[in-house]
Amino acid sequence: MVDFARVQKELQECNRDFEVSGIKVVPKSDASLAHLLGTITGPLGTPYEGGTFKIDITLPDGYPFEPPKMRFATKVWHPNISSQSGAICLDILKDQWSPALTLKTALLSVQALLSAPEPDDPQDAVVAQQYLRDYPTFMGTARYWTEAFARTSSLGVEEKVQKLVEMGFPDALVRSTLESVEGDENMALEKLCSG
Amino acid sequence: MSKRVLCKFFAHGACLKGDHCEFSHDWKAPPNNICTFYQKGVCAYGSRCRYDHIKVSRLVVQVFSQLFLLSFQLLVDLSILLVDQHGMKNLGILICQMNDDVGELRSVNPADLPICSFAAAGNCPHGEKCPRIHGDLCPTCGKHCLHPFRPQEREEHVKTCEKMQRNLEALKHSQEIECSVCLERVLSKSAPAERKFGILSECDHPFCISCIRNWRSSSPASGMDVNSALRACPICRKLSYFVIPSVIWYCSKEEKQEILDSYKAKLRSIDCKHFDFGNGTCPFGTSCFYKHAYRDGRLEEVVIRHLGAEDGNTVIAKNIRLSDFLSNLQIR
Repeated sequence: MVDFARVQKELQECNRDFEVSGIKVVPKSDASLAHLLGTITGPLGTPYEGGTFKIDITLPDGYPFEPPKMRFATKVWHPNISSQSGAICLDILKDQWSPALTLKTALLSVQALLSAPEPDDPQDAVVAQQYLRDYPTFMGTARYWTEAFARTSSLGVEEKVQKLVEMGFPDALVRSTLESVEGDENMALEKLCSG
Repeated sequence: MSKRVLCKFFAHGACLKGDHCEFSHDWKAPPNNICTFYQKGVCAYGSRCRYDHIKVSRLVVQVFSQLFLLSFQLLVDLSILLVDQHGMKNLGILICQMNDDVGELRSVNPADLPICSFAAAGNCPHGEKCPRIHGDLCPTCGKHCLHPFRPQEREEHVKTCEKMQRNLEALKHSQEIECSVCLERVLSKSAPAERKFGILSECDHPFCISCIRNWRSSSPASGMDVNSALRACPICRKLSYFVIPSVIWYCSKEEKQEILDSYKAKLRSIDCKHFDFGNGTCPFGTSCFYKHAYRDGRLEEVVIRHLGAEDGNTVIAKNIRLSDFLSNLQIR
């Protein structure tokens, strides 16, 4: 059974200094605290700078004695993060987990992983190869992916709506879709295209 | 001297001490039938009391005792005088009573006198006029309970009082401490059984007993190594081989050692269920915290066998069982 009292405390603690840490965790639905959505900002001085990355968090029954399951919901180009599934290769989320770690400290570690890639222990072999063989291209791709998938907050709602309407979607549908994905224009676009 | 007073229990046919009784079992001995409550001031039974309501003022006794020291004969004379005041009935009692008091006063050792228990408890209704000695103020507990003439008792009281005070302060300080796993104050947890710290032997990070035990016993199926991850402190990852339960958190190394020692001493008094009075084998062997004793109280003798290892070093041999060899045996 997940220790929800602790999760509740963690959420309060974590969201208190969002302005400083740039880390936020919110429940995905009001029904359960076992599914959460974390947000981290790309570290300065990296190709991920300026991006806001969303991370899917699922708490296993044994939490906090078992590590939380984390996966990038935002697409990211990084040797230790799968470009397809968003799976993260980080020891503290696996065998080096400790119950003294919290969602916030785990997300901070993920943020640190963005600034310090480990291409020798890769999750995504293609990205790792590019990192080792052609570093400038890697930097370019990572920056492009950040621009394309992780940059949402720079535009206002009206601008997003306008952009999507220009693509040929009806205004009302764009607005309702944007609302359903909390203003994430990439996710809205995906939804509009699929539905 | 009290041999001369009739035993109250004997009088009711119920003295268990028999010949060893310090009171007289001779019906001719005068009975001590004076109500002690009346003497001290108030007897709740009043006129219905089965004991005699006689006031023997301390002053009179003291005068008598001094006179007694001078001459016993004179005392007897004076006692006869008293007969007129109190009547024949109480003559013997009074003499005995006086003799007792004289015995007490002759050795005039103030250390033998008890202190006033009212004052020791906080407030004496007699105040300055109290016939008993009032103890000195204990600076720690704030009560007048230090006997002015018993230095050993004083020292002991001050010592225990200070220890209790330290414990109280430690408890107060412990209230604030949070467990890093459940993020709750350990001593404010909802389940009373969980309001206990689990102290790690090798580091000083606080956890509640249930959290740290939960972590250490969580199944290694999740890919975590027992020795490197689970036995380690969740914060500093230092390996600790055991957890000490404690209701207070310590402030110094000495206090931690004290908690550890008392815990080990307590376990040593409990018989090991694995050892089972010699019928079983304890997997912890010589390092077991529990008592390894046979039914007749004899302690287990520890025999350590040293063996030469392949590399030339000496190793301590573990118990070898025949079944260890048999399990590898192929039966055709």
